[in-house]
Amino acid sequence: MTTGSKYDVIVIGGGHNGLTNAAYLARAGKKVLVLERRHVLGGAAVTEEVFSGFKFSVCSYVVSLLRPEIIRDLDLPRHGLEILPLDGTFTPIPNGDYLWRVNDHGKTRREIARHSKLDAEAYEEFGKAMQAMCRFVKPILGMVPPEPSTLNPRELMKLLFIGKRFQGLSSDDKYNQVQLMTMSAVDFLDQWFETDVLKATMSASGIIGTFLGVRSPGTAYVLLHHYMGEIDGAFRSWGFARGGTGAISNAIAQAAREAGAEIRTKSPIARIIVNNGRATGVALENGDEFYADVISSSVDPRLTFLKFIEEKQLPGEFLEDVRRYKFRGSSGKVNIALDALPDFKCLPGPGAHLRGAISISPSVEYMEKAYDDAKYGNFSRRPYIDIVIPSLTDPSVAPPGKHVMSCFVQYAPYKLRPGLNWDEQREAFGNNVIDTLAEYAPNIKDIIINKQVLTPLDLEREFGLSEGNIFQGELSLEQLFFLRPVPGYAQFRTPIKNLYMCGSATHPGGGIMGAPGRLAALEILKDAKTTLRQQSRRVAEAAEAK
Amino acid sequence: MAETRDVVVIGGGHNGLVTAFYLAKAGFRPLVLERRSQTGGAAITEEFHPGFRCSTLAHSAGPLLPEIVSDMQLERHGLKLIQPEVAVTALSQEGRALVLYTDVKRTTEEMRKFSANDAEKYSEFQQSLEKIGKVIGQVLKQTPPDIDDPNRSDLWGMLTTGRALRKLGKKDMYRVLRWGPMAVADLVAEFFETELLRATVVARGIFGTALGPWSAGSSMVLLIRAAGDPHPAGSGNFAMGGLGSVTQAMTAAAKAAGVDIRTDAQVQQIQIKDGAATGVVLKNGDELSAKFVISNADPQRTLLKLVDPIHLTPDFVLKLQHFRMPGTVAKMNLALSGLPKFTALNGATNLLHGRIHIGPEIDYMERAFDESKYGNFSQQPYLEVTIPSLTDPALAPAGKHVMSIYMQYAPFKLKSGNWESRRDALGNTVVKTLAEYAPNLPELIEDGQIITPQDLEDTYGLTGGHIFHGELALDQFFTMRPLLDWARYRTPIKNLYLCGSGTHPGAGLTGGSGFNAAREIAKIAKII
Repeated sequence: MTTGSKYDVIVIGGGHNGLTNAAYLARAGKKVLVLERRHVLGGAAVTEEVFSGFKFSVCSYVVSLLRPEIIRDLDLPRHGLEILPLDGTFTPIPNGDYLWRVNDHGKTRREIARHSKLDAEAYEEFGKAMQAMCRFVKPILGMVPPEPSTLNPRELMKLLFIGKRFQGLSSDDKYNQVQLMTMSAVDFLDQWFETDVLKATMSASGIIGTFLGVRSPGTAYVLLHHYMGEIDGAFRSWGFARGGTGAISNAIAQAAREAGAEIRTKSPIARIIVNNGRATGVALENGDEFYADVISSSVDPRLTFLKFIEEKQLPGEFLEDVRRYKFRGSSGKVNIALDALPDFKCLPGPGAHLRGAISISPSVEYMEKAYDDAKYGNFSRRPYIDIVIPSLTDPSVAPPGKHVMSCFVQYAPYKLRPGLNWDEQREAFGNNVIDTLAEYAPNIKDIIINKQVLTPLDLEREFGLSEGNIFQGELSLEQLFFLRPVPGYAQFRTPIKNLYMCGSATHPGGGIMGAPGRLAALEILKDAKTTLRQQSRRVAEAAEAK
Repeated sequence: MAETRDVVVIGGGHNGLVTAFYLAKAGFRPLVLERRSQTGGAAITEEFHPGFRCSTLAHSAGPLLPEIVSDMQLERHGLKLIQPEVAVTALSQEGRALVLYTDVKRTTEEMRKFSANDAEKYSEFQQSLEKIGKVIGQVLKQTPPDIDDPNRSDLWGMLTTGRALRKLGKKDMYRVLRWGPMAVADLVAEFFETELLRATVVARGIFGTALGPWSAGSSMVLLIRAAGDPHPAGSGNFAMGGLGSVTQAMTAAAKAAGVDIRTDAQVQQIQIKDGAATGVVLKNGDELSAKFVISNADPQRTLLKLVDPIHLTPDFVLKLQHFRMPGTVAKMNLALSGLPKFTALNGATNLLHGRIHIGPEIDYMERAFDESKYGNFSQQPYLEVTIPSLTDPALAPAGKHVMSIYMQYAPFKLKSGNWESRRDALGNTVVKTLAEYAPNLPELIEDGQIITPQDLEDTYGLTGGHIFHGELALDQFFTMRPLLDWARYRTPIKNLYLCGSGTHPGAGLTGGSGFNAAREIAKIAKII
């Protein structure tokens, strides 16, 4: 058995959070090793040439939430990150009409006015209100969650800080904030808009990656979570990375390498080495062992604590909480290589409407019914589908004249009803997506060259996302902020000394945001400093004693 | 010349009576104006068929705040509370019965028949509810703080709550924080494995709401109810003579304390001068001027109907219009020629003394909810049934019985048709469902009273047919009930106050809202 050299920090998992974590630590002068199970970096933010000539953002497919401070600190543009704008959302409606919102306010306003003058007015107001909410929540996303059970002044100050900020909001903003934290996306939108399709397509971002329906309380928050996106300071702007989302991970990896981090792929972890309550290293499946002062895990709690660590090393209540942590994957992905562009009945021919997101969310009832199917263990007979065709904006990802189309599909419950299993359902699931699309773009069936279907089970097997949850755990109120991932351990630390969490399962959660990786790195460095101080103090005391 | 009073209370429901009583104690001489010919609001007993009397709407109390029971000396004023040994009997479709006794020990024994794990977990759950319930109970008795500039008592309230929370210890404290926003279906799954037990406990998180067991936030509803009664599924809190005798005792107590009560006196409008309430106008044209007008009616009825909106800012009106009151409950009362035979109970009538739960599985209840989302009433509804004549034979002729049934879900807004045309269909669905558990029920029915959500609004003044004067949801609790900035029983109209279930704490027949409102109003009145 070979034994690797000693590191300051070993990061488990080369996803965007693991890499961000590593980059920050390396830049602080730590000797960092990143270990990635797969042959490529990026985790769920990965580009792969699934069919020759066709490059897909296999899982995560758009970028918006990536924290600006990370882009700055790690100088990602210099490392090859280029964000291309994704303009607008196109929602076809079965009655032959459509709703097409773009970044151009005037256009969008006129478009919405076609459906309802009142809503056109409200839309502006709504945008402003949401921005105010985002400004309120943003610093909270950037802070280490407080620990409400202690009387430690620093923790109480954090709570006070939030309280004060809340007090500082205008009465209307307070009202909106409270509602956003507690209401369902549709109940919230009902107060602003009357056009069904507008509410439906907007509420969609309230359910992405959750096992909730658009009418389930708590989804208004997820709506906000997706509004938090910021590109060049513009809220709610979404984009592609040139070369696919993998390019983001690669840029971060470059930044890490430049700072001296060592990154190894094809290095699956078998276990985390723990000696009397202290993490000292990791053992790979091939038996190799690596040692470090600190182990930072970017994989989800189930893998970290239930797979890589022996039960007896962990307190019972903590294990109970980890087992209780909800994943409940609810979405799948269908990546399609196209010979030509889809032709929508309601707006025939190619055009700018294909360059943005295409959302199959024609009505609130459609969305809620899709959820009802999932509640009882079936994939939605008519699912919500979020489609993008990156090759229109970034020709480099497909052969000339051909296209790649990415379909995010919800609901696809990880746990199917008894008698069904995903390996047998995969094909039916994929075909159902095509059939759904065909209702809006009949030519779809004739232009498909090839397709890749990813069920929640595939997401778990291929990408290590337990139960196929794309956020490493549901974004439900009881799993947010100081409750994420489990009560008492929301500050990136774990019951095991020197073992940290830095993935999406920690505050502030999922999406290509990088915030967990960064915050965890800062906490690790803070702890390192204090231990250093303690050591030097001990030395000093010893010297004095002499 | 208009009659002049210091305090006028609009509506003689239990909260209105409680508020009037405490204000009388505080030295005022309140006049309660009740639209109907008897006080009681939703807690009334009526003869719906010759010789058959029954709690028309509410058939089980919250329970009432102990303070109210003792301060108003309700026993002395004729109230006899009944708490049967059997709290809830839940029936399964396979003909099994799960009996939850008021006594935890006994319930634990019963649970062993189903699952050793559940028997053990049951008392743990009950104890946790008791501990947490105490803290929440404190909050329910507080006036929600003024967020913008909290006064001394607000800060004190927050402080004591904070301390009480810490006293719970890490585990239970986190439970409060974590459970609140959770779906009650998830909560019960953390403790129990027996489906029938799960389904019985979740009922407490969804009763009277537009939530299903899988709706986030339904656990909060259960916790709030646990504050008054830590029994996981809730006890049977009945009254001799039906729940009407609760409000009759309150009426007597209020009168004894110096409250005047006028029935058949429907308030048509609240008079307002320079942004201050000056009195009310009755339907018959009578005018009453008053220093303080207090409304027991729901917030929308009070501020959007009785008040002319020109006195309110458009913004406030808009927000109040958005206060959600989607009624989901219907009520049915049956006059029976005999006691129905429930297959699962083979004759053990004592098991029928409590509340009978029909809703064998969580998915069954969720499916019932699903239909209501699309504007249809449940074809396989969740039912809460009582047979009060078993514990109080005087309610029906000798040998005969009355059955009181809550049916959920019956959405106030139907997708097609109106409730008048669906009334019988609703009744048939309820009877058909019950007959699956008590096959001989249909032939015992002498007469029935079907109360649709529309009736709840038209006859009993519950806007939207919502029995709690507004949806119980995270966004309408505490400082947000009915609206943020207006959760302190005050309204934008000077001298006009709210004291009904549409204010904190709302939820159920506890008298909490009236109790808090009286305290606040007395405080303000003293200053003026």
